[in-house]
Amino acid sequence: MSGTAETDPITLEVIRHRLDTIAEEMEATLLRSSCSPIVKEGLDASASLFTVAGGTLAQACAIPVHLGTLIPAVAAILQEFPLETMREGDIYTMNDPYLGGTHLPDFAIVLPVFHGGEPIAIAAAMTHHQDVGGKTAGSVPTDSTEIYQEGLRVPPLRWVRDGIFDEALTKLLRLNVRIPDIFIGDLHAQIAACKIASVRLGELAERHGGAFLVRAFQTLLDRSETMTRAALAALPDGSYRFSDGLDNDGVEFDRRLRICVEITLSGGTIHFDLTGTSGEARGPVNCVPSGSLAAACYAVRAVTDASIPNNAGCFRPISLTLPEGSLVNPRPPAPVNARTATIKRVTGCMLGALAQAAPDRMPAANAGALVVMAFGGRSIRHGTFVTGDLLAGGSGASQDCDGVDAIETDATNCMNVPAEAMELEAPIRVTRCALRKDTGGAGLHRGGLGLVKEFEVLPDAPDGVSFSHRGERHFLPPPGMAGGGDGGCALSYIQRADGRREEIPSKMVTRLAPGEKVSVGTAGGAGWGEPRARERRAVIEDVANGKTTVEAARDVYGLTDTPAEAG
Amino acid sequence: MSARLGIDIGGTFTDVVCASERGQISFKVPTTRDDPSRAVTQALAILERDYGIPPAEICRFAHGTTVATNAVIERKGARLGIVTTEGFGDTLEIGRQMRRQLYDLQLEPETPGWLAPGARRFEVRERIAADGSIVTALDPASVALAIQGLRAARVEAVAVCLLFSFANPAHEQAVATALREALPEVALSLSSEVDPAFREYERTVVTAFDAYIKPLVDAYLARIEGNVASLGMPAPLQVMQSRGGLASATIARERPVRLFLSGPAAGVIGARAEAERAGLRDLITIDIGGTSSDIALVRGGETPVRGEVEIAGYPARVPMLDVVTLGAGGGSIAWLDSAGGLRVGPRSAGAEPGPACYPDGGTEPTVTDASLVLGYLDPEFFANGTVLLDPGRARAAIGRVAQPLGLSVEAAAAGVHRIANSHMADGMRLVSLNRGYDPRDFALVPLGGAGGLHAVPLARELGVRRILIPASPGVLSAAGLLAASIEHEVQGSYTRTLAEASLEEIRRVIADLDAKAEALMARERVGELPLNRHLSADLGYVGQSHYLTVPFDPDGPDPLRVAYDAFETEHHRVNGHATGAPGKLVALRVVLSASQTEAAAPAGPQADAQPGQRRKVVFDGETAACETTILRRAALAPGARLAGPVIIEQPDTTILVPPGWLAQPYDAGNIVLEPEGGAA
Repeated sequence: MSGTAETDPITLEVIRHRLDTIAEEMEATLLRSSCSPIVKEGLDASASLFTVAGGTLAQACAIPVHLGTLIPAVAAILQEFPLETMREGDIYTMNDPYLGGTHLPDFAIVLPVFHGGEPIAIAAAMTHHQDVGGKTAGSVPTDSTEIYQEGLRVPPLRWVRDGIFDEALTKLLRLNVRIPDIFIGDLHAQIAACKIASVRLGELAERHGGAFLVRAFQTLLDRSETMTRAALAALPDGSYRFSDGLDNDGVEFDRRLRICVEITLSGGTIHFDLTGTSGEARGPVNCVPSGSLAAACYAVRAVTDASIPNNAGCFRPISLTLPEGSLVNPRPPAPVNARTATIKRVTGCMLGALAQAAPDRMPAANAGALVVMAFGGRSIRHGTFVTGDLLAGGSGASQDCDGVDAIETDATNCMNVPAEAMELEAPIRVTRCALRKDTGGAGLHRGGLGLVKEFEVLPDAPDGVSFSHRGERHFLPPPGMAGGGDGGCALSYIQRADGRREEIPSKMVTRLAPGEKVSVGTAGGAGWGEPRARERRAVIEDVANGKTTVEAARDVYGLTDTPAEAG
Repeated sequence: MSARLGIDIGGTFTDVVCASERGQISFKVPTTRDDPSRAVTQALAILERDYGIPPAEICRFAHGTTVATNAVIERKGARLGIVTTEGFGDTLEIGRQMRRQLYDLQLEPETPGWLAPGARRFEVRERIAADGSIVTALDPASVALAIQGLRAARVEAVAVCLLFSFANPAHEQAVATALREALPEVALSLSSEVDPAFREYERTVVTAFDAYIKPLVDAYLARIEGNVASLGMPAPLQVMQSRGGLASATIARERPVRLFLSGPAAGVIGARAEAERAGLRDLITIDIGGTSSDIALVRGGETPVRGEVEIAGYPARVPMLDVVTLGAGGGSIAWLDSAGGLRVGPRSAGAEPGPACYPDGGTEPTVTDASLVLGYLDPEFFANGTVLLDPGRARAAIGRVAQPLGLSVEAAAAGVHRIANSHMADGMRLVSLNRGYDPRDFALVPLGGAGGLHAVPLARELGVRRILIPASPGVLSAAGLLAASIEHEVQGSYTRTLAEASLEEIRRVIADLDAKAEALMARERVGELPLNRHLSADLGYVGQSHYLTVPFDPDGPDPLRVAYDAFETEHHRVNGHATGAPGKLVALRVVLSASQTEAAAPAGPQADAQPGQRRKVVFDGETAACETTILRRAALAPGARLAGPVIIEQPDTTILVPPGWLAQPYDAGNIVLEPEGGAA
């Protein structure tokens, strides 16, 4: 091949696009070949290519919470098994959050790629497994107080040497999980994804030469760094603070948790300091450093330029301070399984701080929560069943437009469950699913509305059902921006058979008897700008379309008359 | 004398293909955007004046239209109202809450709530359970209130979308009866008829789109029918559906949502028909347009139908021929990123302003500008000379990226081409490899005007060793209209685990579907044409929300077992594993089709008077320009073997044959390109 990577921008661009395509093909293989619903339906898996030094080359993920998530895992494997000890045909694995993982259900598979006997890259895949043991099925106990209750912990280990599986490890893994066939099957889907990458990278090396590729990888990383630095340098230098909170940790219901972020932009670098954040929680909302790294990667990507190729170069200008023993850097054996709520709030705080540096680009706060619900039990018609739902709130309004009603934001991106899908499979009737009036934060531009969904347990489950609800934003609303109002808080309650109305304090595990109902209301997005400056026509339309009540139009938006005209 | 006419309306041009005993002719007229039916009238006038084919001799008229798509993109449909089950009025707006742009901070709604804002959505008191039983009877007072509201809101169309109507349509039908009586002028669509399948949001969206475009599509088809009838054409109007079959206009106007995005389907059918003539049945087709490229796989002469189209950015559950769109085309813009790297797309100069070399084109360099700089295009013979290209402007535009890179204009142009080709090849890899197929097992068929420029580099990238260039790739969609069958699909919901499923129930559902499909076919006046009946079922594992479609035969031995085994085989092919877990049925489907293709006369490329010439061309992978013979396609003798470097020009496309490749014209009018030394 003529030319060098440094002087041939065309070959470089062809290789870059090819790497992205390989990562996409890995991700598609992963999603396709996995068995468990959480991967198939929740897309909770990601695939990456790394340089032999452990720098990300390309990543494909369907949800941002996975961004950069394999970086600490690959680093941990490389530390335990230095590159020079790795051989073609080796496969490594691990899941321990305190040794570079995320939470226990996420297992990493790492495979070094060789060409002509030389290591040229590393392929890695991360999957959220359906069950990895621990105190409850699914391995995400909302009331755990120690990581030992959350499942099997695996340090960086070599699972395959020269193409031969370490059967001792396989046996150990199988014995510690509830559905060993699915667990091992999903690990094999991860291996299949990494092997695809190995074949494709081999073809690429065949064409361009292994040594040339390795040099090209370096150049690609350098270029992304240059672009990220340039984009960050375009923001005004300075320090910007933001803080927000979590309702509780699911164990201590009355203790609000605080998250503080100070961002320092300086000459094309960005530092995130989370000093001031609450100490580690007793409940499982603790979040090991990989979570804050994903949040930071998301925030930087969102505020810079999505056309910058996503690789380790983008991360070089990023640094983090995560105080030890805090919610965002817990010490073992603190439980960590419910970290997603924390990642979402950390992301919100980072964006809130960045908004001060780039006020024209940043919307007000999103609802910043994804309510996770699970129902389980036995019904006459369906036998044993487990079902659930995932409900989003509204997005924040911005300088340019209103927020969007009921939409997934920041680090997560999950679908809700259709009423018809749930009723076909479980003894539950969905009696309502509607936008929640007045929950969009008031403003020149109104925040997106949250939604309310109501469920009733049918007599077909004579013993009732177990029910868990993991919410957020029940007590601390999404803060408004530039004079806009806060988003409406979430509100969920149970209508008991005896007529009692029992409010859910953000998180709850309980049983529901036949005939009992649950109403789940998600938070709205925050508003932007003074409500009274909102266009009269827009307020009238909101009233006509049922998004704002006549009372709010009068009291909050100052509409003195309320015309009856429809939209 | 009897002629068959296909007219496909595109964004810029309306393509016309007319086949008769005298052979096949084709031409283009500019699309008349304000009223696309005018271009149809113009086409008929040209046929009579220039080719001596009067409307009275046209016995078949198949039409592909973008009127449904444009109504949504331009938001020009009816003032729509929606009727839902109490408690679910906001379903259309809430949707599934997932967003497509992961990193955008300012979000856009993902649902088409604008079709019917809250003030035009009405709830009725009623409830049907998952098994179709009635939990709450329909409350007539709530229906009366809804009707009152719809009238006050001055709606022109109504979509009725009640929960579990696919299991029991009684309540929707009762609402429809009341609506027809109270508001007889209003167009009406029932979700139990448009899309009888579970998932209330998806069913609501497709029903809402159906009602929204109904009055407009109806008026458009009536206008064309009126125009052609007044000109004396005896042929009934047939319209292309997105799943790749034709339907009579009478039926199409009842379910207009099935007309979305029929153009790409027609193109693939056209390519399939041409390849079939050359004996090729495994194809990967690519239609390279201005802003995007459409890719499809044909396996054993068949293209799978998928269950969803994307219409103006909104996914809608309409069966569509499986065509994947990639954001790279001739108008893709080349640019330098802030680290000095050369990038191509995804921004595009599109049709406006268009590539720099176009009259009134833009200033940014595009892939088409690179083609001109490299000598691939004849500036005076582009689109049959209707668009004069300006090589100076192309050079200047490419110079904008060449200079900072320290490259010659030619080298930069070659780089732009190489990058664009690698993007397209990567997209084709995903389409084939992602579905468990190796692109090397397929022949490449480029369609559209630009395909011939990229075919060989794409084939090289993918390891494809045979390329088929159809006779008139530029009007393949119109040709596809003539090749398509009349086709009706009727689907019914049947949600049971295989353990619970009853063959008796299934046979009843199928009998009902058969009756519906036959009733539709009976209105097609297909006469003696033999009908082809295809029965399929959607299966999944219990607990999964993804389904696969497999053939179903209720009269064969152990039908459920056979269907389950077929499902497992398919699951293994698509997903790489099959678990043997309990299965469930979710839907049954009957497709009736009537093939109406007569052996078409060879579609000879258009003749033209210009003599051949030579020019300097820089081929893919070469550094220096090489003196290249330019041939006119009409002058090529069938059976010839032309070794590259050669460029073959014809009014609707330009074909690049680089050194090392052979072009062989066949008498069917196709050209096959293969690497020298023969295909593997």
